[in-house]
Amino acid sequence: MRPGERSGPPVEERPGPPRTAGYVALAEAATREPHRLRARSPVHGLARRRLDPLQVLAQSVSGAAPTAAMAATPAIVASLAGSATLWSFAVATVVALLVGSCVGQFTRRMAAAGSLYSLTAKGLGPTAAFTSGCALLVGYGALTMAALSGSANYLGILLARTGVGTGRTAPVFITLLLVLAAAATALLVLGIRLAARVMLLLEAVSITLMLAIFGTLLARHGLPDDLHALGLARPDLGATAAGVLPALAAFIGFEAAAALGVEARRPFRTVPRAVQWTAGASGLLLLLAASAQQLGLDQVPGGLAGQREPVETLATAQRLPWLSVLLEGGIALSFFAAALASATALVRVLFSMGREGIAPRALGAAHPRHRTPHLAIAVALPPLAAVPVALRLAGVDASRALPALLNTSAFGYLVAYLLICLAAPVFLHRIGELTVVPVLVTAVCAPVLMVVLGAFVTTRSGWALVAIGAVPAAGALWFGWLRLRRPRQLAGVGIYDETSAADLLHGPAAPRERG
Amino acid sequence: MSPPREPAALPGRQPRAVRNAFAVLEEVIAIGPGATAKEISHAIGLPSATTYRLLNLLVAEEYLVRLPGLGGFALGRRAARLCVPVAPRLPTAARAVLDHLREVIRWGVHLADLTTGRIVLTDPDPDHPPSEEALLARHPHASALGKLLLAEDTGAAGYDTDGLALPEPRRFTRHTITDRAGLTAELKEVSAGQLARSCGELRPDRGCLAVPVRHPATGALVAGLALSGPPARVAQPNRELIAVLREHADRLAPLLA
Repeated sequence: MRPGERSGPPVEERPGPPRTAGYVALAEAATREPHRLRARSPVHGLARRRLDPLQVLAQSVSGAAPTAAMAATPAIVASLAGSATLWSFAVATVVALLVGSCVGQFTRRMAAAGSLYSLTAKGLGPTAAFTSGCALLVGYGALTMAALSGSANYLGILLARTGVGTGRTAPVFITLLLVLAAAATALLVLGIRLAARVMLLLEAVSITLMLAIFGTLLARHGLPDDLHALGLARPDLGATAAGVLPALAAFIGFEAAAALGVEARRPFRTVPRAVQWTAGASGLLLLLAASAQQLGLDQVPGGLAGQREPVETLATAQRLPWLSVLLEGGIALSFFAAALASATALVRVLFSMGREGIAPRALGAAHPRHRTPHLAIAVALPPLAAVPVALRLAGVDASRALPALLNTSAFGYLVAYLLICLAAPVFLHRIGELTVVPVLVTAVCAPVLMVVLGAFVTTRSGWALVAIGAVPAAGALWFGWLRLRRPRQLAGVGIYDETSAADLLHGPAAPRERG
Repeated sequence: MSPPREPAALPGRQPRAVRNAFAVLEEVIAIGPGATAKEISHAIGLPSATTYRLLNLLVAEEYLVRLPGLGGFALGRRAARLCVPVAPRLPTAARAVLDHLREVIRWGVHLADLTTGRIVLTDPDPDHPPSEEALLARHPHASALGKLLLAEDTGAAGYDTDGLALPEPRRFTRHTITDRAGLTAELKEVSAGQLARSCGELRPDRGCLAVPVRHPATGALVAGLALSGPPARVAQPNRELIAVLREHADRLAPLLA
């Protein structure tokens, strides 16, 4: 500190010995290794603080893809839970809200790009964070593949209706999928604001379509005299529990806004809100969809549980064939938005791992103009498109590939959700801000997730079990290599947008950014 | 200074919550950077859950920041807006540069500090007094110095004027740019040309040209150097005049940084 500088705002030169004065110097003195105050954020290069709250919300809503879930999930849940279907959805909504509140304990305090991976690191340390990272790569990766397949499939069906091509053939599917993947790559590279705007538009259209469809169906059918038909009367515990797993799978992806901590404006407010609102709103939409389908299919043999495409059946029963077209359009849009959201989160996990040095450093590069992780995108997107194409070429069509991919991703998500729930109270204790409520939330939420995860694994068979075994094995090899060769980098995982000197009172003006 | 002890956790929407929020801010200043939530809660005698909620709120609003490690708090950049900015004292060498500029041209020459995100006149021309500082600071869209500041703020956000802490832009003369689209286009031009112009937008009889003074190493905006004169003269290309202005801004940069 030089006396002549006392009156003016202190300015820091390029990295080197600190030459700051006043408040920044005091703050610097208050930090210790390994948490020294740095001259710039470790995640520099991303488009910091650009997204408004609605765009952040769009990322989470797109990740959860409520539209596609509204069409498909109620029948799956009904086949397991029967008359307790609505209870299963209600329980799943509560679990999602509890997981969201655990995520919120972190996102209210730190702004990260690596989603639950970076957050878990601050609670449970490197090993758990690494597990969460692998689980998320599987979850986001498989969801992106599933969403691309789903979108291409429904677009193919729409095309077939208009008479262009025969819709369900492999060449049409593969062409559509590659076009969608190329569009997603372009949107992701060209800037997070652009991608977020597209997601917002797609979700707004597809949710409006869905509300219109279910509104029409309910209006046609009329409300029943006997509300027992809604399945609200007898909450059967066993049946409810059986339906919770598929109902919870309808929520996965709702935490996706946690990958936009760096890029959101006022992240400590917008990110936790986006996650919680998405959980709540998805829950309401799913309850609406489930009750509409249950009511409408009451008279149909087999009821809701017997249907593979319940909304189509309903539309036919009500003689409203145009509803099917709207439905297919809505689902195609929603799936594409989901592909964008999960790919956005995936590349930011890879970006964080690249910056930390536990994945190739190049993945941590950011495009100088678009300020997106362009190399991570270039590495991640081709395989995400190649797997569904290969599956189709091997003769696995979308109706079989989609459930397999969605199940794989659900497994990854459940592991990551369980870890973040366990991490939340530990994190709060570590920074000295533990209160009773977060402990209770984890005490309720973690056992439920463990049971669901256990049920998930034990009900798999054949190839699914091989896949579930292969991922941890590959992860363990990678982890072993890191322990041997990169112990320092492994210990330092969990980078986030740390407070740097420029963020402090009277800090040096932030270096100039060209946007 | 500690408020009366509160019996139970408070909902965050009562006058007490506002009082407590200020108490938390005061305590962060009193303890110094690195104050932990527990220390703050203990010092002001608030229940810990309430303190944590208020701290998270103040962090979300960016008055406070969490230091690396996440356990300690410090005042954030935005806290500077809670007090009146003081004009930094100008080094003698910088004053000499300004005096030289005032000798070679006959316009009013003003220097403003822009590091606080607000116009602070460090050296207004005594012979051609500029508009009131309060007026300039409050309506940055109408002055050349203000446009430099806005272009810097919005340039980082893709020239999105929606996010600006700017109330409805006020109209002063018929030349004042008050529509968002026009302002966005104007700011883009300012950023591209590194030159701001205001022709009779604040006062009909006055125009202004301003260039940024940037930190030599980081390129951060440090100050604005402005010339004021009749609007008709300001509207001309003024190539030579601007070259002289930029040359003096370059000479000021290492002295102010």
